[in-house]
Amino acid sequence: MTKLLPYFIYFWLIAMHQVFLADVLSIFGAKINLVAMIVLLVAMYKTEISATWFGLCVGIIGFGGITEISAWQALIMALFGLIGFNIKETLNLDSLFARLSLVFSGVLLHNIIMILIELNENILISILNSAITGAVYTTLVCSLFFLIKDGIFTFEKTKSIF
Amino acid sequence: MNKINSLVTKHFRNFHFVSIILIIIILFVGDTVINPYLNQTVSTVFYSPFAKVKIGYLELKSVSEDNALLSQTLIDLSMKMAFYEEAALENDRMRSILSFKPPQNYALVPAKVVSISGEYTPITATINKGSNDSIWVDQPVINQQGLIGRISSVSPDYSVVQLLTDPANRVAARVVASREMGIIKYNISSGMYLDNFPIQGEIKVNDKIISSGLGGVYPAGLTVGVVTEVIKEELAAFDKVKILPAANFYSLEELFVLRDTIIQ
Repeated sequence: MTKLLPYFIYFWLIAMHQVFLADVLSIFGAKINLVAMIVLLVAMYKTEISATWFGLCVGIIGFGGITEISAWQALIMALFGLIGFNIKETLNLDSLFARLSLVFSGVLLHNIIMILIELNENILISILNSAITGAVYTTLVCSLFFLIKDGIFTFEKTKSIF
Repeated sequence: MNKINSLVTKHFRNFHFVSIILIIIILFVGDTVINPYLNQTVSTVFYSPFAKVKIGYLELKSVSEDNALLSQTLIDLSMKMAFYEEAALENDRMRSILSFKPPQNYALVPAKVVSISGEYTPITATINKGSNDSIWVDQPVINQQGLIGRISSVSPDYSVVQLLTDPANRVAARVVASREMGIIKYNISSGMYLDNFPIQGEIKVNDKIISSGLGGVYPAGLTVGVVTEVIKEELAAFDKVKILPAANFYSLEELFVLRDTIIQ
């Protein structure tokens, strides 16, 4: 049960983000794609099975409840977890840049898929306006996470600046 | 048992993937059967706590905005109410003025009091009419209650009224009932009184006092006040008669200058 607790915390974090943080943190319409980001992070740091299960659960839980496209979202997110893990296994993702590239391409792909699923009228404009900017924004947030996780960005170092 | 264990371990990965695929198929197929229950569970466990917080915040924000709006409305309405109350009072005064008739051969020049001066009691009042409105020195000034004073100085647009409460002002007056005469004076300690009233004269409390017309400034018949006390002193040549002025000199707003239509 204690092994599952971090995943539940992720779910609550995603739910909180969907309910009010997404709008608060959006910059000129660009939103953080926390769902894709967390699934990719789990894929990078956990096992293949964990990443796939987590992707499936996020697909069910992470989009504000069950809708008619929840099955598609569950499938997409499970595949994200699985493919993310396999990319990490295949490629050398030790460098920060490589990890950020994976996150950027994954989030961008997910944003584009979501736009295609919603079938907006101006798909190209939506991709340019929100998918790319959202992917850049998410990658920036993710880079902060990597910097903290790798110990490059610490509280002591921040203090030493001032 | 060992065989089962080794089978599970060997096919552990496949077992999980098959389970995941099955769940996804159930989600696709069980659209109407499972999904409502699943939706309720997901909403209750993950979304409802945050949704409640968000709704609470939005309600608080809405209440705060309403509060600011209501405060502003309250201020606006208070100001409007004060304005309407003032308008209602002015309306009452104007209604009483409408039925007010000037003495014969005199025309009324309405004026507004601009300022009042005097340390303990009002002594002079400045009105918004001057020589441009045919106002001259020594014209009597009244309101609907009675005599107020006379014009003491004039400029083109403003005039100064010397009130009856100025100790330097004098009015020749008469008791309406007995026609006996005296001089109306004012001092700060004893108020308005009728001076030079003979001790043998007939006067009693509540007798009405009017201007006598002598002296050439005030026309006869303007109400000055009523007798409140008659003090008879031994060996004195005159009675001391206290008068309650007809006009309230502490609430002067609209006045009328009496213009002689024969002379001017």
